[in-house]
Amino acid sequence: MTRWARSSEFYVGLILLLLFAIIGSRNGAFFSAANLFDLIRSAIVPGIFAMCATMVIISGGIDVSFPAIATFSMFSATKLLLAWHFDGPVFVAFALAGAIGLCLGLINGLLIAYFRLPALIVTLGTSSMFSGFLLTFVGSRQVSNLPASLDRFGKLQVVKFAGEGGITVGLPMTVLFTAAIVLAVAGILKYTMIGRGIYALGGDPVSAERIGFSAKFLQCFVYGFVGLLAGIAGMIQTTMMRSSNPVDLLGTELLIIAAVVLGGVRITGGHGSVLGALLGLLLIVTIQNSLILVGIPSYWQRLVIGALILVGTGIAAYQIKRSSAKRKSILA
Amino acid sequence: MLNKRKSSAMALLLAFSLFVLAACGGGDGGKASPSGSADGGASGDSGSAGGKKYKIATVVKLTGVAWFDRMNDGVKAFGQETGHETFMQGPQKADAALQVQIIEDLIAQKVDAITVVPFSAEALEPVLKKAREKGIVVITHEADGMVNTDFNIEAFDNLEYGAFLMDNLAQAMGETGEYMTTVGSLTTTSHMQWEEGAYKRQQEKYPNMKAVARKLETNDDQKTASEKLRETLKAYPNLKGFQGASGNDAAGAALAVEESGLNGKLHVVGTSVPSVSAKFLESGAMSMIGFWDPAEAAKAMDKLAVMVLEGKKDEIKEGMDLGVPGYESLKVRDGKYLYGSAWVGVTKDNVKDYDF
Repeated sequence: MTRWARSSEFYVGLILLLLFAIIGSRNGAFFSAANLFDLIRSAIVPGIFAMCATMVIISGGIDVSFPAIATFSMFSATKLLLAWHFDGPVFVAFALAGAIGLCLGLINGLLIAYFRLPALIVTLGTSSMFSGFLLTFVGSRQVSNLPASLDRFGKLQVVKFAGEGGITVGLPMTVLFTAAIVLAVAGILKYTMIGRGIYALGGDPVSAERIGFSAKFLQCFVYGFVGLLAGIAGMIQTTMMRSSNPVDLLGTELLIIAAVVLGGVRITGGHGSVLGALLGLLLIVTIQNSLILVGIPSYWQRLVIGALILVGTGIAAYQIKRSSAKRKSILA
Repeated sequence: MLNKRKSSAMALLLAFSLFVLAACGGGDGGKASPSGSADGGASGDSGSAGGKKYKIATVVKLTGVAWFDRMNDGVKAFGQETGHETFMQGPQKADAALQVQIIEDLIAQKVDAITVVPFSAEALEPVLKKAREKGIVVITHEADGMVNTDFNIEAFDNLEYGAFLMDNLAQAMGETGEYMTTVGSLTTTSHMQWEEGAYKRQQEKYPNMKAVARKLETNDDQKTASEKLRETLKAYPNLKGFQGASGNDAAGAALAVEESGLNGKLHVVGTSVPSVSAKFLESGAMSMIGFWDPAEAAKAMDKLAVMVLEGKKDEIKEGMDLGVPGYESLKVRDGKYLYGSAWVGVTKDNVKDYDF
């Protein structure tokens, strides 16, 4: 067997095709342009989150605070813009949310890199703190009237045409952000020294240090970058929903991490790819958005989503067990 | 060089930890201290029965949404009007386990009464039982049939409210066509009853209408509601109506309707608040919203709690006037399930009258 046929990307891709075939055979509407566009639309924000999770997990860490960072950034940026009566280019809004996200991400990075605290504990803590700070000091009331330029941006579409039955089918402009971010993360991981360093760090931190990578720098970079991406994702959510809700997005981290792990990113670090993560996400998004099409009643939909999380985290647990077993056998 | 970098990092961390301390002090501390002193004063004169001030906590499903923000206004107003110590708490995400935790904390704080809007009635039964065993008065809202409660008060009979929404949906749809319904969660009793009431009304009165997808779960999330409508529309391209139960369902559906260019062809009704829905009502993406004023509901709950605490439990019976708008003539079932008639229907014509 050739190498690519043994990769997890190959298997996830195969399962995905199978799933497409099954859903498509039950309901032909699945293959309509409207549905494919809707699937892509549903993956715009989760797509960026998946990139966050991929980078962190490959570096050997874990981050559960990215939804909280996204919510914090989007809500406080929206509040600031409203206070300034802002009506300039939307670029400013994204830059502001990104900058706030970057700062919050660096807090994670510094705590993990310089205090050597476990990443899970740090991000669990900061996640709760960011959210609490937001609700206490920035505000807890949903903002329904965005600055005019954001509102206009939310209505922009990349492509738009009239489908059957007079339904307008389109993709929001924000899909370009996600595409750009996915390409950027793939480029960083594959072609830059920092990217190779992230893999090295996740594979074996001691060896990575010995060949000259600075673990502290890499960790700060990873968590800071994730914060930046999360901030941008938050602002995207705000423009797409045309409102900013300070409790939005929270709680999505588990499904995202499960998606990424399903896509072959090893929870123990050092292994995985952007393509795999995307396939894993697509698998979950497809299942989440096709249960009505297939005609599964509401009660069963819960079961299916639950089973999905179980499988995703189950694979992760199995990977940990296997890798620790391997380590033991080397020592023995 | 290395030292400099290290020390600057240390400075940053120091600044950060100060910031955290400040946050703790300003946040919880700020809230706790005035309440602490009020409590001290209250326990001092606990001998005089009439003037006793009680500590009443309101626990909601979720904080940060317009709905429960409005409820908080009612909680605060009741406290100011009566002098009782009232405050509201709730989890940052809709999760039954988090609600249980909050109630456990309140039991430990020895509050006099807990008024609660359960996310999942079943999940709260044990902890509310525990609260009542400790002598804490429990009043629930949106949890018809709850066992471990002194009184459950509904703004209205849930089945009637669902039917009321259905009448509006039928009117918008011209009494024919396919429609779908959503609920926040399959375990939210009130949402399920509204849906049942609506479905029953449609079966009885509107034979030309057909439910194609029922009780889809949105997790109280606008984006999910939007996605559910898009998906159902693909499975049933002739879809003409949407009825949402959770406060975020109708707004999410209206967003999808607007983006699909279906204003006036696909009609959205549901429970929502004017501040969230005004722009959709005005654009025509949403036909009508129904709600009850959560601030009045909070006052009604707190009023009941005070009555029970003052030993006036016997006075709570059929036709009683709580002195809160919409709750002037209570209906009573099985002794402890109370119903007002406090629903409000809002269309684009009267949406400007409400500011929450």
